[in-house]
Amino acid sequence: MIVVVGLNHETASVAVREALAFPKERLPEALARIRAEAGLDEAMILSTCNRVEVYGRAQEPVGPAVAAFLARFHDRPLEELQPHLYRLEGEEAVRHAFRVAASLDSMVLGEPQILGQVKEAYEAAEHAGSLGSVLNALRNRSVAAARRARTETSIGRNAVSVSHVAVELARKIWGELRDRSVLLVGAGKMSELAARQMVRDGARATVLGGRTFEKAEQLAAALGGRAAPFEALRAEMTQADIVISGTGAPGIVVRREDVEAAQAGRRHRPLFLIDIAVPRDIDAGAARVPGVFLYDLDDIKSVAEANLRERKKEASAAEAILEEEIREFVEWRRSLEVVPLLVELRQRADEIRRAEVEKVRRRLGPLNPEQEQALEAATSAIVNKLLHPPTVHLKEMASNGEHAEHVGLIRKLFGL
Amino acid sequence: MDSRVWLLVTLVFYAVGALHVLLHAVMRRRVLTTVSIASTLLGFACHTAALAQRWTEAGHFPAVGLRDGASFLAWVIVLVFLAVYVTTHVDASGLFAYPFSFALVFVANLTPASERTDPMLRSLYLPVHTLLAMFGYGALFVAFTMGVLYLFQEQELRSRAPRQFYYLIPSLERCDTIGGRSVIGGFGFLTLAIATGLLWNRSLHGRYWTGDPKEWAAVAAWLLYVTLVVARYRAGWGGRRAAWAAIVGFAVVVFTFAWATLVPGVTVAAR
Repeated sequence: MIVVVGLNHETASVAVREALAFPKERLPEALARIRAEAGLDEAMILSTCNRVEVYGRAQEPVGPAVAAFLARFHDRPLEELQPHLYRLEGEEAVRHAFRVAASLDSMVLGEPQILGQVKEAYEAAEHAGSLGSVLNALRNRSVAAARRARTETSIGRNAVSVSHVAVELARKIWGELRDRSVLLVGAGKMSELAARQMVRDGARATVLGGRTFEKAEQLAAALGGRAAPFEALRAEMTQADIVISGTGAPGIVVRREDVEAAQAGRRHRPLFLIDIAVPRDIDAGAARVPGVFLYDLDDIKSVAEANLRERKKEASAAEAILEEEIREFVEWRRSLEVVPLLVELRQRADEIRRAEVEKVRRRLGPLNPEQEQALEAATSAIVNKLLHPPTVHLKEMASNGEHAEHVGLIRKLFGL
Repeated sequence: MDSRVWLLVTLVFYAVGALHVLLHAVMRRRVLTTVSIASTLLGFACHTAALAQRWTEAGHFPAVGLRDGASFLAWVIVLVFLAVYVTTHVDASGLFAYPFSFALVFVANLTPASERTDPMLRSLYLPVHTLLAMFGYGALFVAFTMGVLYLFQEQELRSRAPRQFYYLIPSLERCDTIGGRSVIGGFGFLTLAIATGLLWNRSLHGRYWTGDPKEWAAVAAWLLYVTLVVARYRAGWGGRRAAWAAIVGFAVVVFTFAWATLVPGVTVAAR
C-alpha cells in the first residue's frame, strides 16, 4: 500500500516546516533510518520550503510510526507535530502524489518548480537505494500526468509574480526580447530581478546611476550591460524599448516631458515603462503619450491577480486530467494484486497436468515424438482453456477493486 | 455526390469549427482545439470535393456568380488561415477566419448557382486571374485581421487591466510583422491579378482597358496598397497606424469590389 505522511503550507506555519525540513546531505541517512524504524519497504522524502512529506510503501498502516520518526529525527516532541500532519493511504495517497507533482497543491497554483523538486526527491531516493518498483511506478506516472496537465491546460501559462508579469507584458508588446534594450533607472532589487530575466531572453541592459554610480556599474556588469549617468536619461530612453524604474527617490524622476522628448525620436515604436518604485518614479501623465505603455506596481499586481484567476479556472481542467491518470494507475496497481494468486493457480494446474502425463507414459510405454507432442498439446490445451475465463475475470474484478472476497474463495475451491 | 450536398456538409463542419473557436475563446482563453482543427480539416476536404464536383458540373472554373464566388473565397480564406497557422502558430486569426468562412459558405448554400455558359468562361484566364485575385483578397483579409487584433491588444495593454483579449492575442510585434507580410503578399497577388485581368481584356475585346467599374475599383485598391507598402517600409509606419491602414484598406477593397459586382450592367468576368 502506498502511504504519504507529511505537512504543507496549509497545515503548518513556516516555523514548523523549517523545523522539519530535511537538508539534502542528510537525505540518505534519513531514508535508511525511516525504512528501518518505521517499517517502510520503499521510501522517498520530499522536502521543499512549502512541504515536508514522506512517501512510502508498506504492508500495514504505518502513519504513527512515520510521524514518530519525523519527531525523533528532528528532535521535536511528537505532540507538537501531530496537529499539522496528514496521513494518507492507498488511493488518497496516490491522488496526493499526483496533485503535488502537477502543482495543484502548491501555494502558488501552477508554479513550475515543484515538478523539478519532486523529480529530484525521487532521484535522491533512487541513489539511496530506497526506491522500489512501486514508488518508481508512482514517479513515472505522476510526472507524466503532471506534464500532460501542464501542456493540455494553461495552468502554468500566465505569470503571477511581479518580475514575471513585467517580462510577460514586455513579451506581449515586443514578442521576443532578443536584441531589445532595457533601461534601468536606479539599481533596485526588483528591477534587477526583472532585468535579469529579460537579459536571459537576449535583451541588452543599460543602467542609469545617480549619486551612487558604482552601484549602477556593478549592476551593469552583473547584467552584462553598461552604465550611464542619470543626465543621459532622454537620450538613453530614445534608444530603449523597455524602461524599468525603481529608485528610492521621494518624487517624480521621469517626467512626462522626458517621455515626450524620447518618443519624438523613436519613429512610432512603442515604449514600455515599468514603474516599480513606491512612491512612484514616473509621471502618471506619461501614459497618455502615444505609443507609451505605462505600468506601475499596482497595475502589475492587478495583472498578476487576473492571471491567478485564469490559473484557478484552468485548475478544474487539470484536476480532470489527473483524475483520469490516477484512476488508470490505481486500477493497474489493483490488477497486480491478483498476480500472485494467478501464478499459483497456474503452477498448481501445471503440476497436476505433468503428474497425469507421467502416469499415462508409464502405462503406455515409450511413445514416438508425434504422440509425445500430441499428448503435451492436448493436456496443455485443457489447462489453458479451463483457466482462461477465471484469469480474465479475476483481472477485471481486481481493476474494479472487487477481488478481495473472491480471492479466498478461489483458494479454497482449488485447494491452494 | 451532388456538389450541393458536399457544400452543405462543409457548412456543418465549419459551423462546428466556428462555434468551438468562439466558445473556447470565451470560456478557456484558447482559440484552437483538437475539435476545431479536426472539423476544419474535414470541412476543408468536403469543401474541396464540392468545388471539384462543381467544376465538372459547370464545365468551367467554379468561381462565377455569387454562390461559386463566395464558396471559393471561403475556401481560399480557410487555406490561407491554415497556412498562417502552420507557419506562425498564431491561432488568434481564427477568431475572424472561422466566422467569416462560415458566413460565406452559408451565403453560398442559400443562393442558386449561376447557369452562365459563356464561351469566355472556358478561357484559361478565368482560373488564373481568379485564383490570383482570391489569394490577394485572402492575404489582405489576414492583414485586416492582424490589424484588428493589434488594436485590440494595444487597447488591452493600455487599459492596464487586461481581460479577454490579452490572453488570446499574440504580441503587438507579432501582429505587426504578420500584418506587414500579408500586405506585401496581398499586394503582389493583386498586382498579378490586375495584370492577368488586363491581358484577359485584350484577348476578349482587343484592348487592355474597357472602362468597366471593376477595373477602376481594382486600380483604386492597388494604388491604396502601393501607398501602404511604401508608408510601411519607407516612412516607417508601423504598429498602430499600419494596423488602421490595413483595416481601412481592406474595407475599401471590399466596398469597391461589392459595388463593382453588385451594380447592374457590369462586368468582364462577373464573379
